[in-house]
Amino acid sequence: MNDAREIQGLKGVSTWSAFCATLRRDLIIALKRRNDLLNPIMFFLIVVSLFPLGISPDPVELSSVSAGVVWVSALLASMLSLDNLYRADYEDGSLEQLLLSPQPLYFLVLAKNIAHWLISGLPVVILSPLLAYMLYLPSEAYWTMVLTLLIGTPVLSLFGSIGVALTVGLGSRGLILAVIVLPLSTPVLIIGAKAVTDVMFGLPVSSHFALLGAILALALTMAPLASAAALRISVN
Amino acid sequence: MWLWFAKLGSPRWFYELSDKWLPWLYVSMLILMSVGLFWALLIVPEDYQQGQTIRIMYIHVPVASISLACFPLMAVAGTITLVWKMKLADMVAQSVAPIGAWFTGLALATGAIWGDQIWGTWWAWDARLTSLLIQFFLFIGVIALRSAIDSPDAAAKACAVLAIVGAINVPIIKYSVEWWNTLHQPASNFSIDPVAPNPPEVWVPLLVMISAVYVFFAIALILRTRNEILQRERRSQWVIDLVTREKNV
Amino acid sequence: MFEFQFSSLSEFLQMGGVYTFHIWAVYLLFAVFISYNLLQPRMVRRHFLLEQKRRAARDEELSSKTKTQN
Repeated sequence: MNDAREIQGLKGVSTWSAFCATLRRDLIIALKRRNDLLNPIMFFLIVVSLFPLGISPDPVELSSVSAGVVWVSALLASMLSLDNLYRADYEDGSLEQLLLSPQPLYFLVLAKNIAHWLISGLPVVILSPLLAYMLYLPSEAYWTMVLTLLIGTPVLSLFGSIGVALTVGLGSRGLILAVIVLPLSTPVLIIGAKAVTDVMFGLPVSSHFALLGAILALALTMAPLASAAALRISVN
Repeated sequence: MWLWFAKLGSPRWFYELSDKWLPWLYVSMLILMSVGLFWALLIVPEDYQQGQTIRIMYIHVPVASISLACFPLMAVAGTITLVWKMKLADMVAQSVAPIGAWFTGLALATGAIWGDQIWGTWWAWDARLTSLLIQFFLFIGVIALRSAIDSPDAAAKACAVLAIVGAINVPIIKYSVEWWNTLHQPASNFSIDPVAPNPPEVWVPLLVMISAVYVFFAIALILRTRNEILQRERRSQWVIDLVTREKNV
Repeated sequence: MFEFQFSSLSEFLQMGGVYTFHIWAVYLLFAVFISYNLLQPRMVRRHFLLEQKRRAARDEELSSKTKTQN
């Protein structure tokens, strides 16, 4: 009797408030685990600072590769933090609860992806001008870089979510995740990095932004569907 | 009742049907391949720009064009697996992945060899080669995912999802790579359009080679799918009968 | 249209001389590719049939043993 009322109560929860609750829950958990929050940013910082050590400290050489370096590092940082997306929820069983909830899974997955982006993508975007400065990115390209990262990193989270959802039940998933997700992320990397490079040469970049926006729109509509389907398969 | 029948019956039905197809496919492949190779190696005239190396095109273009068809095929098979839960579709999807990786790998290798005299370097970040390379990675991802998941049912569905996502992404990757690399000229000025600058003595043998390689692709796919059927249905009576009937192995 | 491009076998094998290696490497790779993809399924099938035959023989042996014991 009580259970029935409970289920009735859950059905009464609107999709929007379920969306907000999922988002808030993920953000609170992330804020409580400071390490998980800091790791992607530190990783981003370390990877970017490896490039001058590996290539050359020469400003001319560094500024010519700076756009690509920042973008590739952002991609890798997003990859690294993906594992947090469903892993803990899978292990403590709350992912199953999420799948059982009467609200459309699409929106719950979307909420989790947005939370992931706020935790791991946004700090990278905010930190990127500092790193761009260290790599001698020409000043006229700063805004383009920040904007492309702002549009591009959500796509990385959304695509990455599909890969994590497919591999969440597996024991050794680190490398498989990279092999699945990285090829899917290439269009964003190509367009984002090229926009920054083109601005450095004084070329117009509005078409780059249009393409990135189109990819983001496609990812927002399609990727959570694929993630939801993948989660249902993985959790069973 | 009918659904049950179709589910259990279809791999066997395919196996027995392919028994009848295979000889015809072998014969047509043999004919097409010998005509095509003979024509491509001995009769096609030297190209005024590329000289004798135009003969590389008769391998590279068919292989590359079929490697592009593999991902959509895998996605279609994956969709059928997800929607109708047809066992045979997943067996086909599982067999396409390694063949697609092979085709893409060969297209990359022959493209590199061809590139050595078109561009003077074994590897160029040319749009076609680059998107083939990324497609190769995608195939490796599907194969890796399949081998990582223990439950065959979950592996089938997971690979189906990945194949569909990948197939949606392949054109985006191709387009963005081409756009990234607009400075390069197209790798081959090949077209089967009859009004194209290429004369028929160049494109007719190419068509023969493309159909030969297509038939070869069908044979390779059927052979692998048949093995997959036997492996998965090894406990059913018809496979046990087939094993006992098979005298000389 | 249907004329042989080479007048002798050695000329054919040389393929114009400049890119001999490239052309024959491509055709060699193609031959390897075709033969591997036709032979590999055959090997797998052979292996499968042998395995199943062995298993069937073993099962039969086991069941006959239990019969004699009973």
